[in-house]
Amino acid sequence: MGLNPFRRHSSSPRLEKLRALSLFGELATSELAIVEALLHERDFLKDEVIFDEGEDGQAIYIVLDGAVLICRQGEPESGLLATLEAGSFFGDIALLENLPRTAQARAAENCRLAVFFRADFVGLMETHGVIASKISLQLARNMGKRLRDATLGVGSVHRHL
Amino acid sequence: MTSSSRNGSGPIVWAAIIAVTCLLLQVFQKMLWLVVPFLLALILYYILYPTMQYLVYRGLSRAAAAGGTIVLFLAAFIVGAALMVPWLATHMVDIQASVEPYLAGGLRLLERSLQALEQSWSMLADAHLAATAMEKFQHSAGSAAEHIEPVAMGVAAWMPSLLLAPFLAFFFLKDGLRFKRFLARAVPNAFFERTLYLLHEVDQTLRAYFTGLMKLTVLDTFTLAAGLWLLGFPGALALGLICAVLAWIPYVGSVLGGLVVVLVAATDFPAQPSMAYWAIALFIVVRLLDDFVYMPLTVGKSLHMHPLVTVLMIFAGGAVAGISGLMLVLPVLGVVMVCGETIGKVVTDARLMARHRHAKLLRRKQASIDLQV
Repeated sequence: MGLNPFRRHSSSPRLEKLRALSLFGELATSELAIVEALLHERDFLKDEVIFDEGEDGQAIYIVLDGAVLICRQGEPESGLLATLEAGSFFGDIALLENLPRTAQARAAENCRLAVFFRADFVGLMETHGVIASKISLQLARNMGKRLRDATLGVGSVHRHL
Repeated sequence: MTSSSRNGSGPIVWAAIIAVTCLLLQVFQKMLWLVVPFLLALILYYILYPTMQYLVYRGLSRAAAAGGTIVLFLAAFIVGAALMVPWLATHMVDIQASVEPYLAGGLRLLERSLQALEQSWSMLADAHLAATAMEKFQHSAGSAAEHIEPVAMGVAAWMPSLLLAPFLAFFFLKDGLRFKRFLARAVPNAFFERTLYLLHEVDQTLRAYFTGLMKLTVLDTFTLAAGLWLLGFPGALALGLICAVLAWIPYVGSVLGGLVVVLVAATDFPAQPSMAYWAIALFIVVRLLDDFVYMPLTVGKSLHMHPLVTVLMIFAGGAVAGISGLMLVLPVLGVVMVCGETIGKVVTDARLMARHRHAKLLRRKQASIDLQV
């Protein structure tokens, strides 16, 4: 380790794990370190509710381990909309549009989620142009994919978040 | 939060908010040696945070950025102090020598004003108002030297405690985010988003209040200095700064500031009593500017409080904890209000409580999954 405070951030396993997530795939290591300091981690047990339909959208959730199902309120089987695996994220539309959640999220199995709180997310987007542009690009790509899937009738994935 | 979560709290929550605020003010009054450096550190943290964030965004680690920011601040402070010390050393004797004339000038102005009142109102003349009041003032005031010594000793006793401020500010800058995550980790999943929102609101309330207060001080200083300079007062900038800092004590501080300027006017312009009246008029104008222009621009609605509640709580703060209560009541009430309203909403939200019970049940089941007989 040198004494140079401007040294390049060495990539830890945790940062590599973050880089594998689609939302942060374009970020450089130093940018990932800035994002990492803002993320919270939560563990949910199978069947535990992550958020309810109608709640305020205060955060984006990123699946680190396990799986999450998106469903209509209280209908995890009959109202299933999507199952999200590790690496995917959800809760972004309610957060970006400042609207209440339009579906329920539940843990499909024991899972670990990274949580990006609204104020931290918006604050970062407002103060760090490079990170903002890279994350915005990933969000736009994700929206495009959802739109394409919906148009092709692949599923209603995410439309209700 | 949506409109539903912005609804006002009930009377029980408000009673609890007021009770907790008064209790905290009493506790804070007993430990001012810690509260004052803590508050100064908090103000430093909010002022220095953008610099630290800039350094972090330029690739520094958080610890290096926090350390660098504090070192920069201390260097600027030491340079400023080094430049001020020779000036203070040469003027200290003058300051000490001029306190007594200013007090005497103030008393003369008071005597003249009371005599003028006696001439207009025979009832006051019969009561010998001027003579009685002056006798009492001279008896209780004593000499300036008697008051300067305890003030100087008090400042010396506070110095070690004040040195804590940059030390605390460094750790606020370095570990603020970590502390926030530590607090959030202790909260059950069902309340997690609400807790993050609460921490954010507390942070925003304090940031808006303290940075607003600093901006208000700068605006007040320059407005008063400009007005006093136009009136021909000596040391207008220093007087403006003293009055702006005194204004940190709600209501009482503004009156004290006005009194200081009237004392200066009565001493430096003994033959022109109109100067004192002009100074009072200037203070009234600045007070109005404060209330209707500067406050909305700076501290503004940072505390989201009804004006009646604000005024009543200032009186309550003064009654409970004296001068420290007057100074601390608004930020303390702001934070307790945010916490009280959020906690009130969480514990009365049947769905959140049900989700919490469900999660607890799931955890209990998982913990005993291989323990069934």
